[in-house]
Amino acid sequence: MDLLGGVEKLKTGLRALFVLLMGVATVWSFFVPDAEAFQKPGMARIFLWHFPCPMLAVFLLLYGAWCSFRIFQRVKLSPFELGPETDHDEKTMWDLRSVASMELGYLFCILTMASGILFSEIQWGAWWSWDPRQTSFLIVLLIYAAYFALRFAYTDPGKRAAYSGAYSLFTILPSLFLFFVFPRLPYIKSLSLHPTDSILQGQIKGQYAEAVILILVLVLILTIYLFKMRIRAGLLEINLEKNIGQLENLGVNTTPTGVVRPVSVSKPD
Amino acid sequence: MRSQSGLVTGLLFSVVTVYAISFASLNATMTSTVVSGMLWVALLFSSSASLPRIFLSEEELGTGDLLRLTARPHAIFWGKSLFNCFQCVVTGTILSVLYLGFTSKAIAVPWLFAVSLVAGCLSLAGAVTLCGAIASQAANRAVLSAAIAVPLLLPLVSLGVSAVRVSLGLHVRHEDVGSLTEGIGAAIGLVGYAGVTLATGPWIYSAVWRS
Repeated sequence: MDLLGGVEKLKTGLRALFVLLMGVATVWSFFVPDAEAFQKPGMARIFLWHFPCPMLAVFLLLYGAWCSFRIFQRVKLSPFELGPETDHDEKTMWDLRSVASMELGYLFCILTMASGILFSEIQWGAWWSWDPRQTSFLIVLLIYAAYFALRFAYTDPGKRAAYSGAYSLFTILPSLFLFFVFPRLPYIKSLSLHPTDSILQGQIKGQYAEAVILILVLVLILTIYLFKMRIRAGLLEINLEKNIGQLENLGVNTTPTGVVRPVSVSKPD
Repeated sequence: MRSQSGLVTGLLFSVVTVYAISFASLNATMTSTVVSGMLWVALLFSSSASLPRIFLSEEELGTGDLLRLTARPHAIFWGKSLFNCFQCVVTGTILSVLYLGFTSKAIAVPWLFAVSLVAGCLSLAGAVTLCGAIASQAANRAVLSAAIAVPLLLPLVSLGVSAVRVSLGLHVRHEDVGSLTEGIGAAIGLVGYAGVTLATGPWIYSAVWRS
């Protein structure tokens, strides 16, 4: 009992530390010296929060595809991986992971577009500059949207997992092309205003680079936390559906009782 | 082959698109970039409108379950995608001849144009066939199959535009279309896209089939 209490206290402490670090990072992002590589260095601080978004959108799209691959592989999970809710099969678990990954990836893709558009207006003088990076992320956003359109079109959970998983797998090739090849094509690169490999080339250094890395780590931790929450919510949803089905089989009425409202009846003349 | 509607729809759509674009750009001088862009947009929408029907018609006619009982997934996918490849190459060739005729545009590098057109059509056919199979049992399958195919085909279109632009305007004055090396690079990209799409398509289709 003491051990459980200790773990809970540790978790609470870690959460408090995370919130504190988030606050510190937010304040620090306003005070780090300017990075001179940008067109308007003083107005480029949105980069600190913009940078983790495309990285995570890319990673989560590829991780979602990997989870879909595991749906078709039908690999047995260890009891540790399944966790306490052991009555779910491995296909359901991988589907849940896939959809959680895609949902978070979609969110980060939207954040990338929103922060990128703002950056574009301030640095390049137009909300939309047809920059290759902007354009390629718009296509990625459309791929994410198409995945969810397909998922919503199937009501049967088995078919929904299989068909949306197949689509997720099929998106790997165009996504890799859009992230890594398209912006680096010679003709396309000559048209681009977007900075490329800024950290690797040493254009972002010192305190600015430290702030970028700190915010990236913090956003990553937040993503892992949200991912686990989404899996839990998905499992609860499945359990709820199962319990309602069992109650219906036992003959228990699960429909809400009707509401009786008073009705005024006019007196006869 | 039970219904020729796919081939007829694709061809009709292509001819109407070519006519509409040529009519809209009457007396205007069109650069190689614009011509190649228009050509690929016409090919994209023509294929995404007509090619998925090969799987959708099985579900609409109620023969999908019979097919699942009597045939193997790899055989079905290859049969249908090869038919779609043939249909797309025929449609693409007719569309290109008509379009270049209407716009009076000469081809500077014919072999590059031919390779990029054929490889692009094979990629389009492979990808759209798989998207048709994935959407075939959904409620709004006709619209959905095109909607999920187009985002996956946009990178392919960008490669196609790069290759065709170079093949049309390499030696044309006052036009910066990039070098022949860039055009060849884009054509290799198209061939690679076609190869990967047609190689992974049967595996993904059979995985869905088993599920």
